Amino acid sequence: MATIDAGDVGISEVNLKIRELAEKGENEIVLYNPDARHLISVGVIGKSKIKIKGSAGYFCGGLSDGPTVEIQNNAGWGVADNIMSGTVIVGKNAGAIPGVGMRGGKLVVKGNLGSRAGAMMKDGVIIGGGKANFMAGFMMMGGRLIVCGDCEGGVGQNMISGTIYVGGEIQSLGADAKFEEMEEGELEDIYQLLDEFDLPHPESFRKIVPEGKQLHYAKYERKLSPAKISVPEGPMWDKRLVEDIAVKADLGRYRVRSFGSARHIPTFDDIAFKITPEMVLSQKNPRARCRLDTVLGNKFASNPLRLKMPILIAPMSYGALSKPCKVALAKASSIAGIAINNGEGGMLPEERAAAKQMIYQCLSGRYGFSPHDMLRADAIEIYISQGAKPGLGGQLMGSKVTPEIAYLRGLPQGIDIRSPSRHPDVLGADDLIIKIQEFREVTAGRVPISLKIGAGRVNNDIKIALKDTVDFIEIDGMEGGTGASSSVVTDNVGIPSLAAIVQAMSGLDEIGCGGQLQVVQMGGIRDGVDAAKAIALGAHAVAVGTATLVAMGCTGCMTCHTGNCPRGIATQNPELVSKLEVDCAAARVASFLDSMGTEMAAIALACGVPSVHGLCRDHLVALSPQAAEITGLPLAREGDMLA
Amino acid sequence: MCGIAGLMLRNSGAIGKKLVGMLDGLQHRGPDSTGFALYRQPAADRMVMRILLKCSAETHEGKSRASKVLQILRGFGVEVLSDSYTQEHYRLEIAPVPAVKDLSYAVENQAGVEILSFGSALEIIKDVGSSLDISKRYGIEAFTGTHCIGHVRLATESIVDASRAHPFWAYGFSDVAIVHNGQITNYWKMKRRLQKTGYQFRTDNDSELIAVYLADKLDRGFSLEEVLARSVDELDGTFSFLVSTADGFGFAKDHLAAKPMVVLEKDDMVAIASEEVALNRLFPGESLDTYEPFPGAYKTWQLSTLAMSA
Repeated sequence: MATIDAGDVGISEVNLKIRELAEKGENEIVLYNPDARHLISVGVIGKSKIKIKGSAGYFCGGLSDGPTVEIQNNAGWGVADNIMSGTVIVGKNAGAIPGVGMRGGKLVVKGNLGSRAGAMMKDGVIIGGGKANFMAGFMMMGGRLIVCGDCEGGVGQNMISGTIYVGGEIQSLGADAKFEEMEEGELEDIYQLLDEFDLPHPESFRKIVPEGKQLHYAKYERKLSPAKISVPEGPMWDKRLVEDIAVKADLGRYRVRSFGSARHIPTFDDIAFKITPEMVLSQKNPRARCRLDTVLGNKFASNPLRLKMPILIAPMSYGALSKPCKVALAKASSIAGIAINNGEGGMLPEERAAAKQMIYQCLSGRYGFSPHDMLRADAIEIYISQGAKPGLGGQLMGSKVTPEIAYLRGLPQGIDIRSPSRHPDVLGADDLIIKIQEFREVTAGRVPISLKIGAGRVNNDIKIALKDTVDFIEIDGMEGGTGASSSVVTDNVGIPSLAAIVQAMSGLDEIGCGGQLQVVQMGGIRDGVDAAKAIALGAHAVAVGTATLVAMGCTGCMTCHTGNCPRGIATQNPELVSKLEVDCAAARVASFLDSMGTEMAAIALACGVPSVHGLCRDHLVALSPQAAEITGLPLAREGDMLA
Repeated sequence: MCGIAGLMLRNSGAIGKKLVGMLDGLQHRGPDSTGFALYRQPAADRMVMRILLKCSAETHEGKSRASKVLQILRGFGVEVLSDSYTQEHYRLEIAPVPAVKDLSYAVENQAGVEILSFGSALEIIKDVGSSLDISKRYGIEAFTGTHCIGHVRLATESIVDASRAHPFWAYGFSDVAIVHNGQITNYWKMKRRLQKTGYQFRTDNDSELIAVYLADKLDRGFSLEEVLARSVDELDGTFSFLVSTADGFGFAKDHLAAKPMVVLEKDDMVAIASEEVALNRLFPGESLDTYEPFPGAYKTWQLSTLAMSA
């Protein structure tokens, strides 16, 4: 037995000690003076038994695989979050979202369960000896939740899979949950589990399962005959709009669309570089003479991303995209010396193997999220929202939810996945700090932790991100692409990248923190010139998504959501997938990325700076009064030569 | 987006020191500013007015504002017993006055200052910085009294300054203060309603609205408990807040319960905080018997009954 006195020691030190002892195979570790502090015993891999003599704060025992954690008294929010296996026992009560995102193992709370117990859990068992606060089993995706006492309202709200058993009174069922008769042997199974932890047997249990009405859209878009229009086509009416109305009349709901917004918004095309003619003529071999290398995320992390040029491949999920496409993108990122972001739905092993540097995304649904993959990642990104659909979670239509993708995500096969719009354990900027600290604990502060936000109130959001101690922030303009989203949101919610990057810079300047947070701008970056413009406006790097798909053959037919991508890029149909040849696609994307680098270098040299990071606002002009108003750049005057 | 804490003792004690510790324990939830509303036994013969001069009291402008305040008080026939200052904070002890609201509006509107608190028991001290910093600057740890509420702030919308730090005094009502964690979504609607009945607002911070809303209800004769019961239905959004009066103390939590709160009740004390870690600052090393209030819950305690129950 080993003992640790947490009394006068920081939690990071305590956790390092626990992990060190667990790795050595120490059987029993006893922790004194926990004083309800947060993040005790997170990220522990191994079979040790950890006894916490007192109460614990947020996320105790979370993101672990294997240990038994006994908390003598109370636990704060999110106890045992995302555990893969092992047992967490709470002697008294647990705060909100106990067992959030659990993927296996057992969580036993002898007293009461806080609200939303088992939210987004994928597997494993949660047992509550007492009452459960509201929305027990909220958006549960698998496993079992057993509540011996009474439940407040909304039991099983929007549950997707899994089973809830309640021994006491149920105030009300949540949306899309229903009662079902217990099968033979089920009650015995529950009693056996209760005996294992010395919990009394309620006389009977009621069983709650998903009703399943919300797991699929009631109706899908049909192929309609081509739209006809007799009024003169103009800004008020055109064929697209007529088709849109016809489809909505058929569906009775919004349209799900993909690729991205096709309407006109101010873009990087509305600004240009001021370049003197002799500079343009004098540049030869720009790559050799201009520095593009970029260190990203070195504010707190000891191992930041080291990029050969300031470009990332934007998060796009395996699910939205085919496996060959994901692997090709990963290979291209390695050839180009940059990093790829895995996107939603867990880390695809083939993609990880092909990518030299990978950013691992943590999204609201926590599909396939695991501490092992966190340790395999080169950076971790907390997704708050996306430019193409701020305020909404990801969508993946059932036609693309193959058995493999369902398995990776921990969801039933074939459902229309609509990811939660917000994180179960981040309800405000204050909770977010604790989540970020948890990720730092798990990765021992090695890798950068970033935040991704859809561009809306960037001016406020960037200040919050700065205070939330992230290593860098990714801002996604409304031009950003998507595999599936409501067209209403894609076309009408958010602000363009051009405005977003300007707001980000002014937000930091307003609080005297200019230059203190690296910004990655994404959304609408289509070539090296766009990238150079974003960097001149203040971005430290950019991310490209759609452009890389176009480089490998995407034609922009806007049918990614249907799963019928004719190029094998955004589909899971084996016949279509086979059309995409990994090495050929990877070579094309790598070559495209290389061209971006050359363009950036040429522009930087032409502007008279030896590094792309030397570009600044002084090198830019606005081409329209609108762009001048948005960016604060001067309008192009006579005599300025434009690139 | 913040952390809140409150404490009520049966017997007057070192509440300043205890609250500094509790807020230090919560500082990770809000690094921008920290504030304290501290209560001692109400004095029959004096009231304390704490003023933010909005510039250092040592400057010419600060001195001129302070003397303007004194002039207005004299105009109201108020006897000033003593005054002192620390940086921008000006503290006056005055003989009791009945017309708290009228006097307050006159002082603010004419002297260009802001009243942080006014009452016979209450003093609010708040500023940009951490709990430990502010304690050092204003000598919070030395304060003894019966109850207190405090706040650490992470600003999300309105700017970071002492005015927008919490606690908020329920403007115009002696000895009422609140601290709040969350967001009131029917802010503009409620604010317009209160403005129509003659209330002035000094910030764009939704927490100030809660303070004025509660004070208005108290002024109409509702008990603290009734006011909290109504607030849970009438205020929209996600919130956990604490309210304190000269002899009472309570909390309310919205129906969504997205903002955390933990309560510890003992024979001789009640302590409430966003997280248990702050309660453990009062009892290091102990396992505490706490509870998390249910959604839509509210509760009040009175100093007198807390004393009787022992």
